[in-house]
Amino acid sequence: MKRTHIFILFIILAVAQIAIPAQMIFNRESILESGTAYKFKTEPVDPSDPFKGKYIFLNYEVDRVKAEDKNWVRNQEVYISIANDNLGFVRATSASLEVPKTGDFVKAKVDWYATDERTLQFSFQFNEFYMEESKAYNAEVAHRKAQRDSLPNNTYALIYVRDGEAVLNNVFINEIPIATFVEE
Amino acid sequence: MISKLVKELPDLVTNDVISQEIASKIEQYYLSKQENTPNRLFAVFGVLGSLLVGLGIILILAHNWDNFARTTKTIFAFLPLVIGQCFVGFSILKKKSVAWKEASGTFLFFAIGSSIALVSQIYNIPGNLSTYVLTWIVLSLPLIYLLKSNAVAILNVIFITYYAVEVGYSYYTINETPWLYLALMALVVPHYYRLLKYHKVANITSIFNWLIPISFTIVLGTFVNDLSELGFLMYLLLFSLFYNIGKIPFFDDQKLRRNGFLIFGSLGIVIMVLTMSFDGFWDMERFFLNAQETYISTFLFIANLGILAYSYSKKWLKLFNLFQYLFILFSALYILGLNIPVVGTITVNLIVLALGITTIKIGADKFHFGVLNYGLLIITALVTCRFFDTNMSFVIRGLLFVFVGLGFFLTNYIMFKKQKLKVKSLKN
Repeated sequence: MKRTHIFILFIILAVAQIAIPAQMIFNRESILESGTAYKFKTEPVDPSDPFKGKYIFLNYEVDRVKAEDKNWVRNQEVYISIANDNLGFVRATSASLEVPKTGDFVKAKVDWYATDERTLQFSFQFNEFYMEESKAYNAEVAHRKAQRDSLPNNTYALIYVRDGEAVLNNVFINEIPIATFVEE
Repeated sequence: MISKLVKELPDLVTNDVISQEIASKIEQYYLSKQENTPNRLFAVFGVLGSLLVGLGIILILAHNWDNFARTTKTIFAFLPLVIGQCFVGFSILKKKSVAWKEASGTFLFFAIGSSIALVSQIYNIPGNLSTYVLTWIVLSLPLIYLLKSNAVAILNVIFITYYAVEVGYSYYTINETPWLYLALMALVVPHYYRLLKYHKVANITSIFNWLIPISFTIVLGTFVNDLSELGFLMYLLLFSLFYNIGKIPFFDDQKLRRNGFLIFGSLGIVIMVLTMSFDGFWDMERFFLNAQETYISTFLFIANLGILAYSYSKKWLKLFNLFQYLFILFSALYILGLNIPVVGTITVNLIVLALGITTIKIGADKFHFGVLNYGLLIITALVTCRFFDTNMSFVIRGLLFVFVGLGFFLTNYIMFKKQKLKVKSLKN
């Protein structure tokens, strides 16, 4: 193969190499811009990823919803319709396998179905919040402390939602961004 | 090697083995040869340097600098990528040396990984490790061919293996089979083929001769889902395939240490067979035909048979070597012996003994002390295994050990004598 051909192929590859992360960014930015923000009550714990660094794993309080028994399979994708409760936090209203026609909804994965309670247990996929390495563990501690000395659960994640896709924007303890809260 | 010979020259001249004229000719020859070969050391250090810098960048970015604004972080995500691309583009366009291509390719490889990682980090994009690694592989694999880079190829094989392990063995995806692994490996094969064809004896080729069997050995287990009983047969068939590939004269005529297929296959077979020689192994309950494992076993069996048939047609199978035909015996044993444990156990023990003797014979024929003692080790291992799970009396066990020990002494001694004789007859 001639050098110029190789170079042209390389340029195509290079464009793809930039396009993939860029597309990830644009996708997220557009949801942050035009999506609706919801507050999800949560509990952070601290794991880490070999390439992406430290993150806190978010255990969401909303993790079940009343649903019909439809032979749910573990790890199956499910659409959870959401709405705000009177305190301004999110609650799940229904679960369905098809894309809901009205209202906001997010994708989640089925954990299991409790037949006697007729509830579906699920987990949201936006449960990794990346933090500076020194702060990730402290965030977990800070949340536990804040839990002890004030209102019931006062830690929540701000999630932007549009067409089932969700972007985790920030995590707040007592209305203060978690990174700032940890510093104090 | 070269410098060693050149260093010996003055000594050879003073002892009148060669004349001064010949000595300077030899020296000239090697000097001119050295000028023509590219500086390998430079390439190696270039790759090592890029590897470390690339990994370092990933770690630094993973710190997650949250004092920076999102835009700044995004720029940092693309900076290493663009720098890497510039280097690679430059080395393609200016037809730079191998060292340049290898080093810039390695750097770009890690830059790709770091940029995807950083973007996921900035936007808190969840996702399992396997999809992340897969994206990374897909974006970097073409570099192997654009740069003809061995380093990028090695990194890709390692990461493809990592991907398969992540999909196949991780707790969350317990029943998934990484079929994509095969497709990705197939994409690396042309590069390996080119190495075999044009750089048969290069060190880099022997690295691949080892890397590829290791990768397949690690990954084969991910293809076992429900029928774990067949897992042993699958591995035995795989090792047998390695052995048969290693026995093709193309590999077999090379130095043993270059022949990863042969060594890996042989060791694998021995370990598998020893495992199967235990009494409890053959008490298996179920066996059914319609399973993924059965199909893979059948495929491996046919591949083995194909290589043997091809070798036969090329008249490569001059001496009978039990290792090469073992898979037929075992497949039969697996299908028949599943219900009759005694048959399985006894046959396997005899087979291990036969394998040991075969190896000793190969070692003796080739005058290779390593192979000879490897055969003795196989028998020792067999005896040791039986030491624990049989009801033989202590006297018999003791005698067995004494005999094997004497075997070590005698065979080595006989071969040593023979070798001395050979050297003597050569001298005369």
